[in-house]
Amino acid sequence: MITKRTFFLLTIVVALLFPSLPQAQETYREVTAAGANKLTLAVDSPRRLGGGDFPGAGEIAEVLRADMTLAGLFTVAAPAAPVTAAGIRPGEFDFAPWRGAGVDLLVKCGYTLSGDTLTAEFRLYNVNQGREVLAKRYSGRQRDLRKIAHTFSDDILESLTGERGPFTGKIAFVSNRSRNKELYLMDYDGYHVQQLTRNGSINLNPDFSPTGRELVYTSYRRRNPDLYRRVLATGAEAAISTRRGINVTGAWSPDGKQIALALSKDGNSEIYVISRDGRQMKRLTNNPAIDVSPAWSPDGKQIAFVSDRLGKPQLFIMNADGSGVRRLTTNGAYNVSPRWSPKGDRIAYCRQERGFQIYVINADGSGDTRLTGEGSNEHPRWSPDGRFITFSSTRDGGEAIYVMRADGSGQTRVSRGARKDSHPTWSPRW
Amino acid sequence: MRTGTRGLVALLCATLMVAGGCAKKEMVKPEEGAPMAAPTPTPAPAPAPAKTEEPMAAQPVSEAAVKAEAPQEGVKGEEAEAALERIYFDFDSYVLSQQARDTLYRDAEILLKKQPASKVSLEGHCDERGSDEYNLALGEKRAKAAMDYLVTLGVPAERLSTISYGKEKPLDPAHTEEAWAKNRRVELIIVK
Repeated sequence: MITKRTFFLLTIVVALLFPSLPQAQETYREVTAAGANKLTLAVDSPRRLGGGDFPGAGEIAEVLRADMTLAGLFTVAAPAAPVTAAGIRPGEFDFAPWRGAGVDLLVKCGYTLSGDTLTAEFRLYNVNQGREVLAKRYSGRQRDLRKIAHTFSDDILESLTGERGPFTGKIAFVSNRSRNKELYLMDYDGYHVQQLTRNGSINLNPDFSPTGRELVYTSYRRRNPDLYRRVLATGAEAAISTRRGINVTGAWSPDGKQIALALSKDGNSEIYVISRDGRQMKRLTNNPAIDVSPAWSPDGKQIAFVSDRLGKPQLFIMNADGSGVRRLTTNGAYNVSPRWSPKGDRIAYCRQERGFQIYVINADGSGDTRLTGEGSNEHPRWSPDGRFITFSSTRDGGEAIYVMRADGSGQTRVSRGARKDSHPTWSPRW
Repeated sequence: MRTGTRGLVALLCATLMVAGGCAKKEMVKPEEGAPMAAPTPTPAPAPAPAKTEEPMAAQPVSEAAVKAEAPQEGVKGEEAEAALERIYFDFDSYVLSQQARDTLYRDAEILLKKQPASKVSLEGHCDERGSDEYNLALGEKRAKAAMDYLVTLGVPAERLSTISYGKEKPLDPAHTEEAWAKNRRVELIIVK
């Protein structure tokens, strides 16, 4: 807990001001129903509730609008005209103009800036019923503004759908912005980019531990592709698999105790499972073909992986002890990079066809569906709630990190700059 | 059917490379090609199951054959002394083409005769069209295939090591067939 706080440099004071949440959820079940008529959500401009002036406060509303737009559950109304002097609490403002503008859900927010301490108060209203649905207050430093706003976005989705949003999550990725391929971390929407590794070598394939506190990744720093584990808060690193040959595509098991990876120590690339310290090891595949890219099912009982044992790379699934291997993909000549959705029903992967395109397929092999079409798109990774997928794409000329909804809609570039960004992976909830 | 296509592609690639930078090396090829031609009617002796490394290990290349060719090698060898040549592969393949075997034969000559104490790192590389993760394994397979063949040619395994860079270190960053053909390679780097 303490580590988490230090890491984010953020003290969150969560104040549930009105305990009317259960009712609110019932009322809003209908919101999630798919239909032609999406509800309209508006975010009013932030209001100063006290303390010093804060010209940058408008960013709070921009973050909320962007998050809610990606969520895809609502039509997000354009920023409204300059507001009246009314407050943000129930009874302090009139619903009528919002109702008249066709707004169904209204987010109001206010802030108090005291020194460097920013306190933000959020209210979500059902406009038609004239009723408050959710109220929260958060405190942090000024620079935590975006995080505070993302936190309320996560709250909104939890309140309306029962499943918390992933917007406070980070995306770890690989970039050559420092010339070499180093690991970086950024907010899911591309802000607050932080360089993690500085070893001047090639670093690849970051994968978060289930707690989100650690990453495993492959690095060539000792002239061999070895697997390293890194603690995010401290930067402490340990080499956990340095066997001769490749030590690549590490994937943390859902219980955090094991890491599946591909090793070629026995002559050709096979899937193994090692303990988190790398000491114990169990071999799962035994085949003269290439076996690589293991991906755990969320219950930890199965592992999807890539093998060219039938001549071309295809996706297979096996039990976590290596038994019961079965082929998953039957379409396409080159299918790679599987990742199991957090709900367990679907597997995202990429297929080579004029570059790569991202597909999802049900775990039983049905419902094979293409999600991307523009440029070459690789390395799909789910958000922890399964609502979104992050991936890399060349559609804008270079290579950048994108996010989209799990059905392929709302594809949005999130990483900025002209360098090549790849291998994104969305953090678990912290 | 598939094998046929592969063979054709391999032939095409080989032709391309011959037409490109490798012209002078080509002169050596006919002589060397002759003794090895028997088991391999096409440049890529690769039906699908041949992806195991057996066919390469089973390749009937004898020490004697190497030695018999040696004088000819020596004649042209002066300038190529330290230059170990890299070898190339078909897309998504780690099968050694006849041309790759010929090249490794010359490399083995250098390692056995001119650089008998050197240690060599075999670096496997892939083109950008493959997936990055899969390519790490594919590059490894390529490096291993080259190493196994050098060992059958008499280079002690202790002098050889492999490393795969997948598609992380392209020789030519262009997005063209020509660049891809150059990037699907194993480099022989003298490390000691």
